[in-house]
Amino acid sequence: MGTKKFLTGLGATATAVKMADVDVITSFPIRPYTGVMMILSQMVANGELDAEFIHADGEHAQLSICHGASAAGARTFTGSSGVGVTYAFETYSPISGGRCPVQMLIADRTLDPPGDFGSEHTDALGCRDQGWIMGWAETPQEVFDNTLIYYRVGEDPRVRLPQFNCHDGYFVSHIPGEVEIPDQSQVDEFLPPYRPVDPLDPQKPVGHGPQIFPDQGPALEAMRHNAMMAAMPAIEEAIDDFGRIFGRKYAPFVEEFMTDDAELAFFINGAHAHTARYAIKHLRERGIKVGLVKIRFIRPWPTDLLQESLSRFKAVGVVETNSSFGIARGGGILAPEVCGSLYDVPQRPLIASFMGGLGGEPITLKEFDFIAGKLKKIAESGKIEKPVYWLGFEE
Amino acid sequence: MKSHEVKIAKEKLLPEAGIVKAPSPNGEQETMITGCWRVLRPVIDREKCTMCRSCWIFCPDQAIEIAEEKMAVKLKYCKGCGICAEVCPVGAIERVPELDFEDGVVRLEKLF
Repeated sequence: MGTKKFLTGLGATATAVKMADVDVITSFPIRPYTGVMMILSQMVANGELDAEFIHADGEHAQLSICHGASAAGARTFTGSSGVGVTYAFETYSPISGGRCPVQMLIADRTLDPPGDFGSEHTDALGCRDQGWIMGWAETPQEVFDNTLIYYRVGEDPRVRLPQFNCHDGYFVSHIPGEVEIPDQSQVDEFLPPYRPVDPLDPQKPVGHGPQIFPDQGPALEAMRHNAMMAAMPAIEEAIDDFGRIFGRKYAPFVEEFMTDDAELAFFINGAHAHTARYAIKHLRERGIKVGLVKIRFIRPWPTDLLQESLSRFKAVGVVETNSSFGIARGGGILAPEVCGSLYDVPQRPLIASFMGGLGGEPITLKEFDFIAGKLKKIAESGKIEKPVYWLGFEE
Repeated sequence: MKSHEVKIAKEKLLPEAGIVKAPSPNGEQETMITGCWRVLRPVIDREKCTMCRSCWIFCPDQAIEIAEEKMAVKLKYCKGCGICAEVCPVGAIERVPELDFEDGVVRLEKLF
């Protein structure tokens, strides 16, 4: 069986990428993601990993190289953070429309200005409508596991879509945690080699990404939609197989913590779920029945599962580590999706957004206390006074 | 979980990602015929043409071929950009409005 190591999120990603035996890696420096490329370039230089390591001249080039390599049948890995993610924006839809299962690490960083290194999810969430599978990891172990799971789902013949493998910059990317490294044979069993359909090949010429007429558009978009929908059963199967082979069982989409008797819930993605768990234990000691609902995939969004899960609570606090100025309800990006998911359910909770961790600030236990207090008040009064609270600015 | 997939009728299905399978690098495909975009048609004067192949090299759409030992235009795909006329060193290519032809694409009721 495998070994245990103390790794950062970036170390865990690099180890998983190496074990996934990727063929092409493209890099361009930007904090905090860039550490993963330092480790991978060392692995390639030392002969531990047989891959093409290409230092691109920008994020747009990074993604374009991966697009071409993936179209030729390579397993590819790239990554970025913050404004690097947005610089490559043009390439995202062509890659998913071309059905190229490129994997991109996003270690979140606040978008400029000013130049802030801290983790905020807006960089990745801004790309949520581009047809990529997307989700967050909470610990280095989950980062390692997600890297393998995303390749498996993205390369599934029913799916064939690229993946944003996200985790919080610094909180996860730079803080080490214990990571169980499996045997190579386990990884090989879980993740078979990528088998492309009609790859670029001089012996069998094909044209990728052709110009089309408008009447061909609807069918191609419907097919891309179906691929994303097919990712749902593919994720469930991959998580099942992952549990069988590696012995770690994840909830595919919606992970719950102390929710059995909970009346209130924190809805959250990413690293701050870690703090939320501690906060919940403290709040429980004071008799407040609060639980945690952590979403593991933002795309595809698990509407049906959230209807089942969240309709059990009286009040739900959506913790938003992102900004979307002027969005519906005036908060972050997640709350409108949560509200939209529950609109068709007759029995639905009261929902408020809590803007926290912006610019990479930690969300403290005290702030989770504040959220729980507001949720309790909302549940007792049965109505929402305000749909959005900004943590640290309100009484 | 409920399925949210769209049912797509067989006749509406396209190859995944719209990939076009061509028989060879010089082959033709039927999914994207671009000749109907043309406003000015390149006409090659076979007397003046020296077979230097400049037009063949510069055509961005591979719409120039060698037919009956002379350069010719594949009208099915030529978009009428005029680069061939511009690069021809002996001025053998003239750009003629499609309206001047009985089979001009602007006159077609159905485009190919």
